[in-house]
Amino acid sequence: MHEFSLIEAVIDSIEERSREGSWGRITKVTLKIGEMRQVIPEILQFSFSVASKGSSMEGAELVIIELALEKRCRSCGNSWKGSASRCTSCGCDDTETVSGMELEIESVEVEE
Amino acid sequence: MPRRISIRQSVMAADEKIAGLLRRKLSEKKILMLNLIGSPGAGKTALLEATLKGARFRSAVIEGDIATSRDADRIARTGTRAVQINTRGGCHLESHLVQKAMEELDLDGLDVIFIENVGNLVCPAEFDLGEDMKVAVSSVPEGPDKPLKYPHLFSRAGAVLLTKVDLVRHIGFDRGLFWGDVEGLNPLARKLEVSSLDGSGIQEWIDLVEKWVGEKRK
Ligand SMILES: Nc1nc2c(ncn2[C@@H]2O[C@H](COP(=O)(O)OP(=O)(O)OP(=O)(O)O)[C@@H](O)[C@H]2O)c(=O)[nH]1
Ligand SMILES: [Mg+2]
Ligand SMILES: [Zn+2]
Ligand SMILES: [Zn+2]
Repeated sequence: MHEFSLIEAVIDSIEERSREGSWGRITKVTLKIGEMRQVIPEILQFSFSVASKGSSMEGAELVIIELALEKRCRSCGNSWKGSASRCTSCGCDDTETVSGMELEIESVEVEE
Repeated sequence: MPRRISIRQSVMAADEKIAGLLRRKLSEKKILMLNLIGSPGAGKTALLEATLKGARFRSAVIEGDIATSRDADRIARTGTRAVQINTRGGCHLESHLVQKAMEELDLDGLDVIFIENVGNLVCPAEFDLGEDMKVAVSSVPEGPDKPLKYPHLFSRAGAVLLTKVDLVRHIGFDRGLFWGDVEGLNPLARKLEVSSLDGSGIQEWIDLVEKWVGEKRK
């Protein structure tokens, strides 16, 4: 959905860290994106190639690690992939999301 | 050789931080904040009008729209304080916009802040505004298949309201399908049917909000 504004936020925060740390050219940016975040990787790639122009990560490779939805039962400890909202083992609804909601800048690679 | 630097920072860190600040402030002031989300024309403003006419709690409304102050004007006519946010093309509200709107409210005289998000079933579900709860608003004429087609909102909402139920006898609506899918996505959500036109279900909704207000005061 908001691929372009997400990418702008990514670039802004990396640029800030880059200025603080006096980094060189950035050659690779790795993001972790959860499946539940309604983000389309192809649009993210395209947005990055456009929005990074003129920044310290122009031309850098963008790596997107997609994480599937995974939930866990607080009551019996069972965990499962997919959107089932009740525990697939004991059927209770005391569950938590373990992954699938990520929207994280994982790392960058910088030329020395 | 390039050097790898670990960052591990949320992409929306700036906005999440503001949402956290708002949540803390609202909890200090013991104000409940509800974020109403639904497609354009689902009946969000009509629901608020009906709610505000019948409610005893003290409310204010933050209205998000791409353009115009029509919804805020409608709310103001009920005698309730309303602040309009125009997103100028933006398809959802973000916490920094809500923060600005909240500066215009007198927080000491309030029990509830209702946020009417920009009419959109998709994007607003992604953005934390510091609310206690997202409320999904889905109307009978949109059809009963919306929960599964737009699961992100329905699975994150604390309450799901089916609006315009007065229309069921005119156009039909598969209630079993709708509520079955909502239950499958989100067993813990409160589930209500309302009509702002004939008033059915509105009192139950008001009672529910009043109960949440009571819990927030504790
Ligand atoms: N029959 C019927 N019509 C309703 C009901 N609630 C709202 N409407 C009508 O639906 C239309 C849209 O209602 P609004 O309350 O403006 O919808 P909204 O969700 O605030 O729309 P946006 O702010 O544009 O996203 C209006 O013509 C209302 O009169 C209802 O309970 N029953
Ligand atoms: Mg409206
Ligand atoms: Zn279990
Ligand atoms: Zn959008």
